[in-house]
Parts: sequence; C-alpha cells; structure tokens
Amino acid sequence: MSEHATNIPSASAPRSIPVWAQHLIVFVVFISVWELAVRNEWVSRLILPSPFDVVFAWWDLAIVKALIWKHFFVTLTEVVVGFLLGAGFGLSIAILSAMNKTFRRLISPYMVALQVTPRIAVAPIIVAWLGFNMEPKIAIAAIICFFPIFINSLTGLMQVDDERLEMFESMRASRWQIFRHLQLPGAMPVIMAGFKTGISLALIGAIVGEFVSASVGIGVLIQRFSFQLLLPEAFACLIMLTGMGLLLYGTATFADRRVIFWKDDNLVTKSAHRLRAKHADLLKE
Amino acid sequence: MSQTTAMEPPARTRDGIVSASETGMVFPGPVVALEDASFHVKRGEFVSLIGPSGCGKSTLLRLVSGLIKPTAGRLNVFGTPVDGPRAEIGMMFQKPTLLDWKSVFDNVLLPITLAGTVTKADQTRAIDLIHLVGLKGFEFSYPRQLSGGMQQRVALARLLTSGAELLLLDEPFGALDEFTRERLNLELMRIQSDLDATILFVTHNIQEAVFLADRVFVMTPRPGRLAATIDVPLPRPRTIEMTKSPEYNDLVFNIRDTLGGFI
Repeated sequence: MSEHATNIPSASAPRSIPVWAQHLIVFVVFISVWELAVRNEWVSRLILPSPFDVVFAWWDLAIVKALIWKHFFVTLTEVVVGFLLGAGFGLSIAILSAMNKTFRRLISPYMVALQVTPRIAVAPIIVAWLGFNMEPKIAIAAIICFFPIFINSLTGLMQVDDERLEMFESMRASRWQIFRHLQLPGAMPVIMAGFKTGISLALIGAIVGEFVSASVGIGVLIQRFSFQLLLPEAFACLIMLTGMGLLLYGTATFADRRVIFWKDDNLVTKSAHRLRAKHADLLKE
Repeated sequence: MSQTTAMEPPARTRDGIVSASETGMVFPGPVVALEDASFHVKRGEFVSLIGPSGCGKSTLLRLVSGLIKPTAGRLNVFGTPVDGPRAEIGMMFQKPTLLDWKSVFDNVLLPITLAGTVTKADQTRAIDLIHLVGLKGFEFSYPRQLSGGMQQRVALARLLTSGAELLLLDEPFGALDEFTRERLNLELMRIQSDLDATILFVTHNIQEAVFLADRVFVMTPRPGRLAATIDVPLPRPRTIEMTKSPEYNDLVFNIRDTLGGFI
C-alpha cells in the first residue's frame, strides 16, 4: 500500500526535468504554435498578431517612444487610490456593522442592492458627475472593490469562537478590548482575502472608467489601438495590464503573509526569536 | 423565600467560597438545565463535578463564574451574590482558547493586559508561571508551534496569572491523550496545593474525578440535578499508585452506581 502511494508522484511528474524547465517548455511550445499559426496564415494577421509583432510593438511603445509609462502610472494611481478608498470604506462599514446590530440591520438592504446592481452600469453616471480626469476612475474602482472587502470583513468579524469570547468575558474584557485583541486579529485572514480579491477588481474598475471616457490610461490606449486595428500595440498594452495585475496581486499576497504571520512557520519562528532577544533579561535567573 | 434567607449563614463566612441554595437555571425554550442545587465549597477544596452530558455541570460552572445568572434560588461566591464575572474567579475550557497571534508569554499575560498595564513584576511572574507549568524554553513560542498538551499548559498558566483564588475548569484535559492528561492532573494538584486555590473541576471521567477531588458532586440529567456529594478521604499528595487501592476503586464503583441508570 505505502509503496504504491510513494510511486504516484513520480509517475505524474517526470523526475529528470526540473519544474521550472517544464514551465519553460510549455511556454515555448505555446508561443511557437502561435507564431507558426500566424506565419503560415492559419489565422489572419489582422485578427491575431504574432508574438514577435507584439514584442516589437511593446519595444516601440515602452522603450523607443517610451509613451506607455505615463499611461501605465495614471492607471496604476487610479487603481491604488481607488482600492485604498474602497478598502477604507469597506472595512469601516464592516466594523460598524459588526459592532452595532441596529446599524447592521438598517444598512443591509442597501448593501444587497449594491451587490445585485451591476456596478459597471454606474460608470457613465460617475463620469457625468466627476468629469474626465482621474476622479471618476478612482470612484469606479472604489465602488467595484468595496463590496467583497465589506462582506469579507464583516464575515470575519462576525465569526468569533464562542469559547474564546466566553474566556474574554470571564476576564471582564470591555467591548473595545474584545474587538482589539480577539475579533479584529481573528478576522484578519478573511479581511486580507477580501483585499486580495478587491485589488484585482479595482483594476477592472479603473479600466472600465477609462473605456467610458478618458484621455490618459492603458484602457484608453487599448481602445484607441483597437479602433485603428493596431492589434500588436493593443496586445502590448494588454501585457502591461497583466504585469500591473501581477504586481498588485503580488504586493497583496506579500502583505497578507506578513500580516497573518502566525499562519507561517518561518515567520512565526523569526518572531519567536525576536521576542526572545527582546526579553532576554527576563530569562536570566 | 424570605424564610430561607433568614436561616442562611451570615454573608462572608470564611468557609463558604461558593454557597448555593436551591439554585436553578432555566434557559428559554424552556430547558431546565439545573434544578435545586444546594451546596457549599470551602476554601482550598478541590471539587469534581461529574455526570453525563446534559446534567448541568457546565451550566453550574458558568453560573459560578458569573457568565450567566441563575433563574432561581441563591448563589453566593466569596459571600456575595454572583453578579457578573469577577477578578477572583478564573476559568479554563476544554479547548486551550489561546490567541494564535500572541506568543506564549503574551497569551499568559492576557488577563493582566486586559485589566490594565503590564509591569516588569507581571512579566517576571508570567515567566515563572510558564516554567511552573513545565514550558521552560517555550516562553516566546507561538501556539502553532506547540502540541495540544502544551497549549493546554499555556491556558493553565494564563489562568494562574490572573491571580484568581477560585478556579473553574471545564473538562480542561478532556481532549488530550491519557498519558498527557495523567501528567497534567498531577501537576494541577501540585499547583493547587502550592497556591492554596479552590477548584471546581468538571469532567465526565469517574476515575479522574475521584483521583483529583476532596469531594465529588455527582450530577444527573433531565433536569440537571445534584444527586449526591461523595467525600474522597484519600490522603494528599495523591499518587498514581493510589488508583490501585481498594478505597479508590470502591469510590469509583459507588459513583458509577449512583449514576447507574443515566449512563
């Protein structure tokens, strides 16, 4: 039985090829098939640009003309500011709802309404209100990422372990102390998961805002290049957005790991060592 | 009601750490969780509460802790009626209920943190207590790095930091393996005699109840009642060898008989 169990992994993953090389092979095959498909005109070049066309277009836009960066940072700013606003509101309203039953009851119909309304549909109205600069894109990003952050934070804050709560009550903890020492840290894993979802949604929000109306931003570039059938350039912009998405998600994942350090063996060990050094005097007999 | 009040011993009697007369608890439903419990617990006494599930032993413990209020009768702790949790009363549960984001040291200091500011003396005492429960070398570890038995030791140290004189333990070692439980029981008795604490200990293990206690309160379910209180005249300090003695085994059989139809 156990012999079979140990044989399974080696059967599914060839032992001789390292994992990174397997990824590289898949990538190279994928790009080659794409390049061949375009070069042999299995697909029209007008519909699908070849990978080399895309790379040349990106090189031209990002390095030679260097005009893409201005748009990149405008979009990035919209996403980050929008996310911070949405996260701030989402977390604050979740905290108020978790602390106050009446508030939670009164606000819940509006939260449900906000959830079921396609928030993208609000974009033209927001643009009408806030004009054509970065503000409407920030607002749309904030609105779109607000809900998952709110709902995750509320769920996390509401799921307090009964025995821990009883322990705090038996120690005569105040409501604020229960929040500060039990509820909030206990909810952090779920809150951080909401942030991770939220940051990707904020990017969608900013791009939608740019599609509706804008003169600067990666979304604008994609729209413009597509209208002019400059598909290699449009694809190059898309790759910039993928990069931005990875950057944002990577940052959120990094922050998540640091904040929830107690779920990570290495970070916990490090923290224990730090505390031991800090309180070294207490351990001297 | 007023007649029974007049006949009761004066408040703040030295020997009555806990005194209950006809204490009852009915939860909305209605569910009669505890009916007509009358008893006294003396200072320094170790009392085991035993009975099958639903016999009201945890309810009784929560009543004494002040987490819930009795719906009938009287319940005095340290001579005054229970009216919410108090600093002199400490509680420990079946689960360690540690905070995963705090080190052993900070978990043990939690009662002090919640009560006000932590002084150097408190910190030194916390380290001493961590050593007392046998966790030398793990002072700054995190719960994640500890076994179930070690986590429960942390919970015990935390209970002792509060400086509580009356300790309420709700099946504290129930989730641990036999060997760990035995060792922790011996340490609990040693700590109790060191600190001269009064202990109410809920368990559903008859052997454990007898081994630990000066008196065993036998409880029966539906409705929860205090069926009998049984003295355990075994000498202290208790040793594992005593569990082979006829006196010990007679007591265990006696309690099993009392519980008879309820198990």
